[in-house]
Amino acid sequence: MALLSVTDLTRNFGGLRAVSRFSFEVAPGEILGLIGPNGAGKTTVFNLITGFLPPSGGHITLEGRSVVGLRPHVVTRRGIARTFQVVKPFPKLSVRENVTLAAFSHEASRPRAESLAAQMLERVGLRDRLAVPAADLTLGEQKRLEIARALATRPRLLLLDEPMGGLNPREVDGACALVGQIRADGTTVILVEHVMKAIMRISDRVVVIHHGEKIADGAPGRVVQDPRVIAAYLGTPVA
Amino acid sequence: MNRTAAVLALLLLVLAPPLVASNQFLLHLGITVLLWTLLGAAWNMLGGFAGQVSFGHATFFGVGAYTTLILYLKAGLAPWYGMVLGGLAAVLVSLPIGLICFRLRGPYFSLSTLAVAEIVRLVALNWEALTNGPVGLLITTLPRVALSGRTINWESKLPFYYIIAVLALGAMLATYWLTRARLGAYLLAIREDEDAAESIGIATVRAKVLTLALSAFFAGLGGGFYGLYYRYVDPDAVFPIALSVEMVFIAVVGGLATVTGPVIGAIFLTSIGETFRERFLVGHLIFYGLFMMLVIRYLPEGIWGGARRAWAGRR
Amino acid sequence: METFVQSVVSGVLTGSLYAMIGVGLTVVFGVMRIINLAHGDLVMLGMFGAFWAHALLRIDPFVSIVLWVPLMFLAGMLIYRFLLKPIIPGGELNTLLYTAGLSLLIANIALFAWTGDYRTIKLRYGLTPLRPFGIAVPIPLAIAFLLAIIITACLYLFLARTDPGRAIRATSQNPEAAALMGIDVDRISMLTFGLGSALAGAAGVLLAPSLYLYPTVGELLVAKCFVIVVLGGLGSVSGAIAGGILLGLVESLGAVYISVAYKDTIGFVIFLLVLLFRPSGLFGVGRT
Repeated sequence: MALLSVTDLTRNFGGLRAVSRFSFEVAPGEILGLIGPNGAGKTTVFNLITGFLPPSGGHITLEGRSVVGLRPHVVTRRGIARTFQVVKPFPKLSVRENVTLAAFSHEASRPRAESLAAQMLERVGLRDRLAVPAADLTLGEQKRLEIARALATRPRLLLLDEPMGGLNPREVDGACALVGQIRADGTTVILVEHVMKAIMRISDRVVVIHHGEKIADGAPGRVVQDPRVIAAYLGTPVA
Repeated sequence: MNRTAAVLALLLLVLAPPLVASNQFLLHLGITVLLWTLLGAAWNMLGGFAGQVSFGHATFFGVGAYTTLILYLKAGLAPWYGMVLGGLAAVLVSLPIGLICFRLRGPYFSLSTLAVAEIVRLVALNWEALTNGPVGLLITTLPRVALSGRTINWESKLPFYYIIAVLALGAMLATYWLTRARLGAYLLAIREDEDAAESIGIATVRAKVLTLALSAFFAGLGGGFYGLYYRYVDPDAVFPIALSVEMVFIAVVGGLATVTGPVIGAIFLTSIGETFRERFLVGHLIFYGLFMMLVIRYLPEGIWGGARRAWAGRR
Repeated sequence: METFVQSVVSGVLTGSLYAMIGVGLTVVFGVMRIINLAHGDLVMLGMFGAFWAHALLRIDPFVSIVLWVPLMFLAGMLIYRFLLKPIIPGGELNTLLYTAGLSLLIANIALFAWTGDYRTIKLRYGLTPLRPFGIAVPIPLAIAFLLAIIITACLYLFLARTDPGRAIRATSQNPEAAALMGIDVDRISMLTFGLGSALAGAAGVLLAPSLYLYPTVGELLVAKCFVIVVLGGLGSVSGAIAGGILLGLVESLGAVYISVAYKDTIGFVIFLLVLLFRPSGLFGVGRT
């Protein structure tokens, strides 16, 4: 059975259809890439799945149970975690406290929560920055912090919103390895990304969204050659 | 703050009054400081920890005060019980207020609390059947009460001192609990970034409503005490915006999200108030404003917060 | 029917002055994202400026406006440059608290200096109102209304046609883009705050002959001001104008048809409703 099943998802803002009858599935253990030109609706889809925005129509189910209409913190507790396109750390709190707060969703006592947090921070390579205020980290470090924070909620499904944005090539490689490791540890991943190198390398499957609609769904190699996808990014040739 | 110092300060607080029991003015000063500490600590829970700056906390203070006096004058309920019911009434009132105002964030939240406070003040001013309107409510005598065989002398300020000392300690203990409990940690997260807090599983609405209820309870207790001590309330005494601002002042100047901050802020506020009230009658508010500005500019963590940081830096 | 028309006329006249106060506040918010709680006290300073010019030098308030507007403009720029600019990086809430402190400071220095006695400006031509079509229109209020229209029209032209005005609008829409286009955002902010203060002071001068003057009136005014700018949409000049007139009307009609006692409450209730259901203002143009 699919882990996440999105059917006919729709979201209107007044007259604008930001997302229109969008459907896709994610199998457990998959890394699904979600790509599309700017403004296509990718972050909106994330906001709809995680409860930050209510859908105008459609269904979203996690392991068969609907998550529509739930507040974001409930969605997180059901097992869907996310990162944000523009990082949102808790700036004045320490790196460790940032993640410990997330760990509280699974560990009631502070010592155990801090221990879980330390584990997650180790996985993303921030072990030696525990006491630093989050605001003092570099962008790459803040992105890793946000991933650690999301992981501390022990999600079944992790939604990553442009984790590679603003990273240099070496950092991108590191991020790809991290995502692969996250999947290997048992978390399914949906990855929104513009850095094509990353998408091609780590996605098992790619879904393409354009003007709020799905225009392609399949293996990465096939999707990037789909003429509709090319037209969406580059436009159609002027005769 | 380390444990021994805290306990010593506590003992000083409790033991000192009998030594100066003859000096009613000093007792009055002590009562004033403790009342402001209570109110500042109450505001601090919501404003300092959760970062929700309310300009309408006088609402809860006033509800506590009026509840206490109304229950005594109309139902004969002794004010010390009325005080607690006043706190609970404030909690009840805080629920719809939270429902409305928490839909808004940042300065919009602050403005909405201001609007609510003004509405409540105007209602109190005009709903004469309940509140006696601008004339206010007056207690002439307090009920006779005996404690371990001796009748309490309500003419002396001493019993009032002990009552408010207990209440203020209660608020400080509650604040201390917040600094250790998960709720307190959650509030700090909400203060930093509410959406991010939601995304990591924190039920932000519930946390805010709970904190507001706690905050309102203590503010309401303070109002009830005010009614008991001064024996007179009217809408402009217990519901004005200035009162709300003074509560903010105490917490900000003293040190947000700290246990000791409100004490420092209260001492500060009271000393300025007393110094200027004698000579200039109104000049003290000038200095409230001035110090608020100075603290935000140069010591954003408040006096206590700044002192803590300086001390930690030196170690 | 006549009561209704009278009510509407009074409401519009007062509303125009509310509008001017609101425009000052909204323009500052639009450019700097500052909610200036001391704005009402700046109006108060304008009021007392007019009062003292009249009491001590026998200058008509509507003439002294020529003096007070530039002075308030300058004062506003100085306040921005030396008081506000250093604390803006500290965040919205810090700035809000800071302006709350500033408000206390200004209002209470005034209270200390001038005492809390209510004062009025008695003008010879203020005694008998005009009676067009049987509707009573106090002359000072009518003059104030006309001047308010002229000032607002000038402001409009300034914002629409001049370079600094356009720079202000650009910064208001997108400070970062404006900076990239070569606009000195700091200088524009200073200019805007000066403008907002000048408008507040001017409104105070115009209002002075028609109200009781006392140093803490700023508190009440600033509360009304927020109702106005939220109604009209934070950052929108035309919204503030509409909001001001609307509030004037609501208060005037409310006093007659609902109750005098609760007339102030109505404004706040509407304020809460708008904040909840249409936070971008009645016309949907405000910045949230």
